[in-house]
Amino acid sequence: MSRVRRRARERHLVADVCVVGAGAGGAVVAAELAEGGARVVLLEQGPRHDPDRFTAHPPEMLARLYRDGGQTVTLGNPPILLPLGRGIGGTTLVNSGTCFRTPPRVLDRWAREFGLERLADLRRLDPAFARVEAALSIAEVTPELAGRNAAVARRGAEALGWSHGYLRRNARGCVGSGVCAFGCPTGAKQDVGSTYVPRALAAGAQVVTGADVRRIVVRAGRARGVEARVRDDDERARGGSHGGGSHGGGSHGGSRGGGAREAAADARRSRGASGWTRLVVEAPRVVVAAGTIHTPLLLARSGLGGGSGQLGRNLSIHPATAAFALMDEVVDMARGVPQSLYVDQFADEGIVFEGVAGPPAYAAASLPLSGARHAEAMARYRNLAQFGLMVSDRSRGRVRAVGGRPLIRYDLCDDDLRRFRRGLALLRELFEAAGAREVYLPLPQGVEPQRARARDLKLLAFHPLGTARADADPANGVVDGGLALHGVEGVHVADGSVVPSALGVNPQLTIMALATRLAFGLLGREVPGPADPPGQPARPGAGEEAACRS
Amino acid sequence: MTFALDDFLRAAPRLQRIALRALLALARRPRGAALLARLPAADQLAHATLGLIRYDDHATAVPLGWDAAAVVARGRELRAAASASRKVEGSW
Repeated sequence: MSRVRRRARERHLVADVCVVGAGAGGAVVAAELAEGGARVVLLEQGPRHDPDRFTAHPPEMLARLYRDGGQTVTLGNPPILLPLGRGIGGTTLVNSGTCFRTPPRVLDRWAREFGLERLADLRRLDPAFARVEAALSIAEVTPELAGRNAAVARRGAEALGWSHGYLRRNARGCVGSGVCAFGCPTGAKQDVGSTYVPRALAAGAQVVTGADVRRIVVRAGRARGVEARVRDDDERARGGSHGGGSHGGGSHGGSRGGGAREAAADARRSRGASGWTRLVVEAPRVVVAAGTIHTPLLLARSGLGGGSGQLGRNLSIHPATAAFALMDEVVDMARGVPQSLYVDQFADEGIVFEGVAGPPAYAAASLPLSGARHAEAMARYRNLAQFGLMVSDRSRGRVRAVGGRPLIRYDLCDDDLRRFRRGLALLRELFEAAGAREVYLPLPQGVEPQRARARDLKLLAFHPLGTARADADPANGVVDGGLALHGVEGVHVADGSVVPSALGVNPQLTIMALATRLAFGLLGREVPGPADPPGQPARPGAGEEAACRS
Repeated sequence: MTFALDDFLRAAPRLQRIALRALLALARRPRGAALLARLPAADQLAHATLGLIRYDDHATAVPLGWDAAAVVARGRELRAAASASRKVEGSW
């Protein structure tokens, strides 16, 4: 009886394209398609985050902006923390903003090993890169903004003669608040939630937050749309509109108590206290951009993408770690852009160093010491410098669903362990050359880098890629060079999952450029250059055209 | 007032939440801490979590040169100024 009364309500939307996920890939596809004249529905599982509620307190922001409170972990040797953003903007809301174009050597490999000559063609990719760079105001960090933490590493690199430089980032009006990973309080970070999603909305796209997509509907080998469910809490909060304006608790006004209320609402949701509205989006094209961890799960749930046996496999993550150094000078690592400098002297070996820093809470959590030594080092927080080490991994992991949640298996292979050993020794050399009084490597006390075992390493990873990899051959990949799912018409993938190999650099620009290519491919046009201002149709009259090629 | 440890833990997946609560309970007791000292990874995880919360506290962070409230206030001012300048530009 009660089951009948509480039966989920239903809501129908009709679109030319339904995009699943509003992160680096999905937001870009949605905006470009909508501006090109397509009717777009953009579904996002998480909320829209209001910058007025960013508090610069890492624990609170981790709980609010990250999936699983930033506590997603891979199983394997060693376990690796894999923080993922959740909500409008996805991980672009909480990353460091670093933007690299795909290295040419990686593109060559895509063409050679995966038959992706067209996808990897620089002449076609360059306009997409340029377009994204213009849209996100990507520019090099200035030395003043980079702060003293970067100056320490720069001094070391210069003393050693190692190649290095300031990073390019998607920021405008940045004042170096030092909390890129915990919600930019100035709104300087040009994440896709504050750039592409507003463009999509302005061009008429419908954006639904809190939408948990359960299935992609395919009949007779063609996409028909998606089925999702939306918590009634989210429905009420949205007030039935798709403007994205105040949804997501914007009225809480940034108080700390607002976080508590939101946490209470989350707890209510997890207890199943509210009902669901079933959402059906009818669309002849579906673009899946749920992220490298969740896209393979959605495809598998929908009975799609499994033909090659590669779905959920080939996971690369760019495992990373960081060392601290105690300096004589005051560093104040959180004053300045946390990730502002890179050292690429050893990039050919798959080892890249990048800046990393944060407030005391962040430093205390990542400082590889315990007990009295930890307390002593933290008492000198203002003199601590930190720098990160990232490995372009050859190890490959796998994602599958267990009990409806992703189970991520990833073991570090011997090659990558050797890279970490070498990288940690080099990182110590870098700090010593910069004049460090003491260097704290992320290893158990008494373990030297050359003797480190995988289980000794304290690793994090921020760049999951490859679980629905592109390959021209349907027997080897999940999507083709046009990012269309092999064997099905009308289903495309536009996130890190399609990237067929580790990049060796931060991947957001690659993902956005591929998403741009996909969007214009669906519109049946070449990617225009950045000279066309964002928000304008690709060419006169384009907005009136039928949206997508078949 | 700092964001409570419980609120941070509540965001974690259920099994991890249970495991981490057990670890933290151990870390707070002398005999538990001794046991954890023999398990470096677990010890590190427990101390990282406790450090994240402890050093987020205003009274601990400010003497170390970090004032979250000031960072947020400056951010608000800058956003308000940017918003006002956009309005002026728009009115022309």
